[in-house]
Amino acid sequence: MQVSVDSTEGLERKMTVELPAEQVNTAVEKRLKEIARTVKMDGFRPGKVPLSVVRKRYTGQVRDEVFGELIQSTYFQALSQEKLQPAGEPSIKPLEIDPQQGVGYVATFEVMPEITIADMSDKVITKAIATVSDADLDSMIEKLRSQRTTWNEVERAAQDGDQVTLSFKGFIDGEAFDGGSAENVPLVLGSNSMIDGFEAGLVGCKAGDKKTLELKFPDNYRVEKLAGKESTFEVEVSKVAEPVLPEVDEEFAKIFGVTEGGVEAFQKEIRSNMERELEEKISANVKQQAMDILVESNSFDVPGALIRQEAKALLQQAKANMAQSGQSSQIDLPLSLFEGQAKRRVQLGLVMGEIIKQHNIELDQDRVRAKVEQFAQSYEMPQEVVDYYYSNKQQLAGVENVVLEDQVVDWITQQVKVEEQNSTFEEVMNPKQPSDQESE
Amino acid sequence: MNKERLMQVLLGPVVSEKSTIAADANRQFVFRVVSDATKPEIKKAVEMMFEVKVDNIRVVNIKGKTKRFGTIHGKRSGVRKAYVKLAEGSDIDFGAGA
Repeated sequence: MQVSVDSTEGLERKMTVELPAEQVNTAVEKRLKEIARTVKMDGFRPGKVPLSVVRKRYTGQVRDEVFGELIQSTYFQALSQEKLQPAGEPSIKPLEIDPQQGVGYVATFEVMPEITIADMSDKVITKAIATVSDADLDSMIEKLRSQRTTWNEVERAAQDGDQVTLSFKGFIDGEAFDGGSAENVPLVLGSNSMIDGFEAGLVGCKAGDKKTLELKFPDNYRVEKLAGKESTFEVEVSKVAEPVLPEVDEEFAKIFGVTEGGVEAFQKEIRSNMERELEEKISANVKQQAMDILVESNSFDVPGALIRQEAKALLQQAKANMAQSGQSSQIDLPLSLFEGQAKRRVQLGLVMGEIIKQHNIELDQDRVRAKVEQFAQSYEMPQEVVDYYYSNKQQLAGVENVVLEDQVVDWITQQVKVEEQNSTFEEVMNPKQPSDQESE
Repeated sequence: MNKERLMQVLLGPVVSEKSTIAADANRQFVFRVVSDATKPEIKKAVEMMFEVKVDNIRVVNIKGKTKRFGTIHGKRSGVRKAYVKLAEGSDIDFGAGA
């Protein structure tokens, strides 16, 4: 077997493999004999077909088959001989030479880039230091209260923030239009769920009032037909109700599943929830930065085959998501849409793999268990969830991946400078510039 | 004996155990021929189509079997075969797929 390798551009390699004629011919001959024993042909008893006839009829076909198998077996042999690591599937073309002299093929593929982990000691990760203050806790509870707002019917003029139950009919040029009328719908004034002026026009109405509103649809209204049109709404208000925020008491705590210990336990629960969220957010932040640094400082050619593969996977995912959210999965998304993201993911995957290999980062089983238990905490029967994870290889593998990633991130944070930054809960949870890059 | 007639004489090769044995052992190639073909015709036809030299020809008529399905009697059509012996040095290759 003769192997020669040409580097074309970038990571692409052309490997030419030549096989001696005998190797092929003996294999073909062997196969033909086998066929002669079993083949059924008109005019001959089974197994009595002379080899010469079999040869005449089957040589071409058998040759192709044998060639295919030889490619299979020699391709990997040739790779290990040349110490190449292909990324993705090769494209194989047979060499056009005289079959008497031998056969050969050219395999074109991309190789895995050689990755050297760059020194990252001059990079900086900012890690937010924040605690959950009483004020944060209060605002969170306030938010929860407003989610549980109840409405209390009142006999007074509606004001901003009130909920009004109303029926309305809309007309354009004196004619009713589609979707322009509704009966007994609740509307919170000031929630901006109707077009401009509608809610404002209802401030001051009482239950039983009728009012006619002259309004103009905004030019960028989502229903094109209506955009920019002058319209008239006849509105009848049937109810006015004011918002009532629930008191923070035992009843309120019960809604959130805190049945014992009353308000204090409730506050404690909320606080620990917030603290957990904060912690997760901070570590996600650090992880994100670590990943960014990895990508930034380790740039190398990424095999196109891998990118395409990843992009395809992403495309499938996106389609599945769309199908789940009820959108038609028929929409053709261009593959190129995902290539940027795919490239980043492949790059990260390769670099992380290399780091793990070079620094012998081993999966920490204790951390896996801790992680699984952490997941389980939010279920009613934690032990069952833990057991489920440990009985399901696939699920566990997912967790193991996350832990391994975390370990790599830990390693990176040891390499780089970590700057600590004092921050508040609010700043951490809602950063001013939300980073839209997905964390890996 | 015009060319047109010669083109029509040979119907096809007979591929069977017996015919391959005959070809291997005696350089005899077997053809199905039209039922009224004569030996000289067959000789000319083979020589023309395959560009070989023919030594001799033996012809055989095989009568079709009578077949019966209930009361209906039928007869299969017969076949006329020619065993064509080629002169030394000549060969016919029906090629792969023959």
